[in-house]
Amino acid sequence: MKIIILIIALITMNAFAAEETAGKTKVYKYKEYEVIDLGSMEIKGQIIAPGDLTVNERERKVFKRSLLEKNNFDFENKREIENLR
Amino acid sequence: MKYLLMTCLMAMLAGMSPDAHASAKAAFEIYKKDKTHLKNKKIAHELIDGQFYFSAIPYINQYLEENNDIDAELEADIETLVVKTGTMAVLNLDEKRLESFNIPSISLILGKRLFDKEQYEKAYTVLSKIPDTHKFGIEANLIKGTIKNLQRKNVEAMNFYEQCAKKAEQQESSFSKEINKRYYTYLKETCIIRTARVKIEEHKYEEALDTYEQIDKRSYKWPYILMDKAWAHYYLKDYNRSLGLTVTYKAPLLESYFFPEAEVLMALSYYNLCLWDDALKVVDHFYEFYQPKADALKDILGQNKKSDTYFLDLYYADPKTRENLNPFIRNLITQTRKQVKFNLDLASLKAAKEELALLKRLKNKNDFTAQLEGNLDSTISFISAKINYYIKKEIFTFINEIHKHSYSMFNLKLELLSKKRDELYNAKSNAQSDRNRGSEQNVTRKKNQMFFDFNGSFWADELGDYSFGLNSQCKDQESK
Repeated sequence: MKIIILIIALITMNAFAAEETAGKTKVYKYKEYEVIDLGSMEIKGQIIAPGDLTVNERERKVFKRSLLEKNNFDFENKREIENLR
Repeated sequence: MKYLLMTCLMAMLAGMSPDAHASAKAAFEIYKKDKTHLKNKKIAHELIDGQFYFSAIPYINQYLEENNDIDAELEADIETLVVKTGTMAVLNLDEKRLESFNIPSISLILGKRLFDKEQYEKAYTVLSKIPDTHKFGIEANLIKGTIKNLQRKNVEAMNFYEQCAKKAEQQESSFSKEINKRYYTYLKETCIIRTARVKIEEHKYEEALDTYEQIDKRSYKWPYILMDKAWAHYYLKDYNRSLGLTVTYKAPLLESYFFPEAEVLMALSYYNLCLWDDALKVVDHFYEFYQPKADALKDILGQNKKSDTYFLDLYYADPKTRENLNPFIRNLITQTRKQVKFNLDLASLKAAKEELALLKRLKNKNDFTAQLEGNLDSTISFISAKINYYIKKEIFTFINEIHKHSYSMFNLKLELLSKKRDELYNAKSNAQSDRNRGSEQNVTRKKNQMFFDFNGSFWADELGDYSFGLNSQCKDQESK
């Protein structure tokens, strides 16, 4: 119990020392009132419609399914050899 | 002397020819007296001399299992066995053992076995040992050409096919016996068709079509080339001719030939003519026609997959019984019967049974005849199981074909529905209704091709020359 009290006392003393080294006590003050006039704000720039540079015109992609192609006769040729003898 | 008299008596009772009698006697004497390592070889030789080919198989196999030497006499005997019994001549020897022999007949059997196992490089090396001048050189060239064809080495493939066709033609004319002639005609035509197929693969469609003209309409191979020709016309964009060729399979004469691929090609041809409704009709017909048949066949396969005789028994069953089971089976078996391998195996089965009957008729039995009978019984069971397996495999391949093409048809149907949807969006749905259904003007034909109207009946001499006269709707679709 004694050890715990001692440790707490040491930490507290250290904290006070830090404030003391700064020399002054800091006082934080917040703005109490501020007006923002949105009407007087100005954005510099140019308003343009979307054109060739911004939109790429392209045809709609048409997905083609793979239909049967006869590139070779491997199936028939192999079967013929299997049926040879 | 006692044995000699007994064998003579046996032979006479069995109604053997004098040669067969002498050979059987000699085989029996060798069986009893010979104690050398050549015993099995000598017995086999005598049995082959007496035309007991199937009885000789176990003795030849036994000899080759134990010995590496093959003299001229044995080489001739093995060749005779290959001709008379097919690949069963060295039935019991595995590939590793067969590799130690260097004679054409064994090289052919080994090469074919390796080809069937898709060991193409090894098969090619083994088949290359067969001299071109040898009678088995024709088959060797056909298989070697196929291997090069599969490897896309078309120049080499073409070379082998041409050699094969040329040599087969020479052999064909050298035989007087019809059965031998027919086999070499078959080989010659197979090799000619292969050259045409290579041309199609190389996009030389016109050349390919000219090559197909060499196949006579009466040929056994002819119904099969209709599909090849239809593809050639399809790639030439002559869709009407392609339709005409595929519709030929609907002729009563070709009733037993059914190619699911023909239906796909027909639908594709309509599709390329922009006749969506016609194409859709073919697609729907495909599912209606083939799906129940595939299911029925799958059931039969499933129920009898363990049987070694069921499918062979179906072959022997009368057509009425087969039709009661499934009408489709009749046509499938008819088509299977037209395969060379099936016929050779069936002939082997018959010959082996006759040999066994001859042995069983003998009154004086001994341990030699008992051994021959036992061996023959096993050989017959093996051939039966082999044929049964063959039919089963054919059915299985057919079901697979249907499934494969169902996928193609599914894709095509999606494409067709998409086209029809586009038409609806573009208010062109009535475009097809007022089309001209057919005209001579739409038929592309060569100078030597005549034009006759189709009046609803198929004539045998017209088969394979049909063409539709449909007008392509594609131009209309583009312009509207």
